[in-house]
Amino acid sequence: MTGNPFPLGKPELLEAYRKMRTIREFEERLHVDFGRGDIPGFVHLYAGEEAAGIGIISHLGDGDRIASTHRGHGHCIAKGVDPVAMMKEIYGKRGGSCEGKGGSMHIADVSKGMMGANGILGAGAPLACGAALAAKYRKKGEVAISFVGDGASNQGTFLESLNLAAVWNLPVIFVVENNGYAESTSRDYGVAVDSYVDRAAGFGLPGVTVDGTDFFAVHEAAGEIIRRARSGGGPALLECKMVRFFGHFEGDAQTYRGSGELDDIRANQDCLRKFAAAVTSAGVITAGELTAIDHQVLGLIEHAVVQAKAAPLPTAADLTTDVYVSY
Amino acid sequence: MSSIGLIANPVSARDIRRIIANASNLQIADRVNIVLRVLTAAHSLGVEHVLMMPDNGGIRALLQRHLARGHSQHQRWPVVEFLDMAPTSSVEDTLKATRLLRAAGVAAIVVLGGDGTHRAVVRECRDIPIAGISTGTNNAFPEMRESTITGMAVALYATGRLSAAQALSANKLLDISINDGAQRDIALVDAVISSDRYVGARALWKPENLSAVYLTFADPQAIGLSAIGGLLHPVGRRDPGGLAVQLASAEAPATLRLQAPIAPGMVRTLPIAHWQAMPADQPFDIVSDGGVVALDGERELAFDAGDRVQITLRENAFPTVDVARCMQIAASDGLLRLSSTH
Repeated sequence: MTGNPFPLGKPELLEAYRKMRTIREFEERLHVDFGRGDIPGFVHLYAGEEAAGIGIISHLGDGDRIASTHRGHGHCIAKGVDPVAMMKEIYGKRGGSCEGKGGSMHIADVSKGMMGANGILGAGAPLACGAALAAKYRKKGEVAISFVGDGASNQGTFLESLNLAAVWNLPVIFVVENNGYAESTSRDYGVAVDSYVDRAAGFGLPGVTVDGTDFFAVHEAAGEIIRRARSGGGPALLECKMVRFFGHFEGDAQTYRGSGELDDIRANQDCLRKFAAAVTSAGVITAGELTAIDHQVLGLIEHAVVQAKAAPLPTAADLTTDVYVSY
Repeated sequence: MSSIGLIANPVSARDIRRIIANASNLQIADRVNIVLRVLTAAHSLGVEHVLMMPDNGGIRALLQRHLARGHSQHQRWPVVEFLDMAPTSSVEDTLKATRLLRAAGVAAIVVLGGDGTHRAVVRECRDIPIAGISTGTNNAFPEMRESTITGMAVALYATGRLSAAQALSANKLLDISINDGAQRDIALVDAVISSDRYVGARALWKPENLSAVYLTFADPQAIGLSAIGGLLHPVGRRDPGGLAVQLASAEAPATLRLQAPIAPGMVRTLPIAHWQAMPADQPFDIVSDGGVVALDGERELAFDAGDRVQITLRENAFPTVDVARCMQIAASDGLLRLSSTH
């Protein structure tokens, strides 16, 4: 292929790959470390879903806000939160994104527009509406994104937010990360209106479904939706059909999956492999360049774990800090 | 026993055109209503068995809820059997279902979808007649018609009251070949060359990237890229030959600018260099620095400057149930008149 056929320049493509690989290795490492008992609390891993997080969030700046889910590590890395601070947070250590007091499901970095992962399903959507309302008043063309899983999309908070966003014409995008399972309940069983685009239509919002394992499909669709919202076009819904490589939580025996399902999705629906195949076969990036990034990312993750293990635990006195905001 | 197949795509009409062009979203509940009307109409005229593609997009689940309620005084339906296949929620489902329906020997296949869904069916089967019902975004191939009538026409053919000569029409298609067949595909309405060069969100809506349009037929009332040809030089669905339109470029200056509805809700101005008839079986070589071939409105095949891309029009390529003709003959031959004593 002559030239670059993609809508992103080579530096942007390399950065997208680096961030997707960072999420993947971050999660793969947590899978191992959690299994060893090194990590307190619960973790829900984003591996397999990277193309959606990066394909969408790469359109955003620090002034744009996102409300994440219980499966939030990927969104955090995509939004620019420091992986070392994240790792410390997940290890429950001082120096973490929230000084080790939040853990995996409460990582936040408001300076990056990351309003927080959220242990309460469906709770992010109203927060994103609030951020979008603020953005509307600020008139700087900022947007807010609410990520929600297919299961949490059944929550009243989510449905109310669709309504509020439509009524107030908010610059908010609802991203349904549809990995097929609400914990262990198949979407086919648990969602009455099987199409999220239909659900959005019920509130007067346009909706689009894309292959969430295809970075370029997500990136292009998200770009159009975000541009529309920035220019006052209003809210919309984007459904990303995707796969998760691990269980709902670490320790999930995944007995609800079909036989061979995990092997199949790892072999055929790996968004990183698809991305690498596209950019290398187009001749834009070499396999060697990608391998170099892989090594750098592994080094970063190892560094983050070393730092996290070495960092001190919060003390009892830390319990009463960061409770109230000082104005 | 007369048996027909039914493929209803739950994924069609979900793409980016809902954002950029306010394209319609036919909801799953309405798709199921369409299926139910086909079933009751076909059953009223003697179809006893329908083999249907399963899906995970909601059509099967909702349809089963309806069917489980049993017959009512207003509605009766044939036995509905779902094909033994695991849905993947991709075009592979349509391809596999078509293969299974063909192997099962159904008399005809009713297809609910847009141009893309119909194209997928024809990719796998060119001998069993299809009857299209428009539920997609760019619906140039399936005609707009109440599904009850389509169900009746299919039943008249499937139960033998209309012969193939009476009920069926032959259709044209475009064969697309890259590097002498290393990659092959087809289009039912349009094959379009774009400089986009990647598949991305699939839909094609940036006129500045278009370089050529190849059409099996060109209707001035069509929506989508075939409208470009339809507004320059209409070619009928049943007419011999097709149409090739070259958009302006550095090598081929514009001779006119044309306003055309290239997507629902999207009228764009395109610089046209020239157009010509596409005789059957004559390959057209694509001259391009690389790009993508979009088939029936979706970017599909990426190619490079050095690749040899050829597009060839084929006539008599596959049969469809000619619903209008079926109903004309039903009227003229009195096929639906019953004795006054029964």
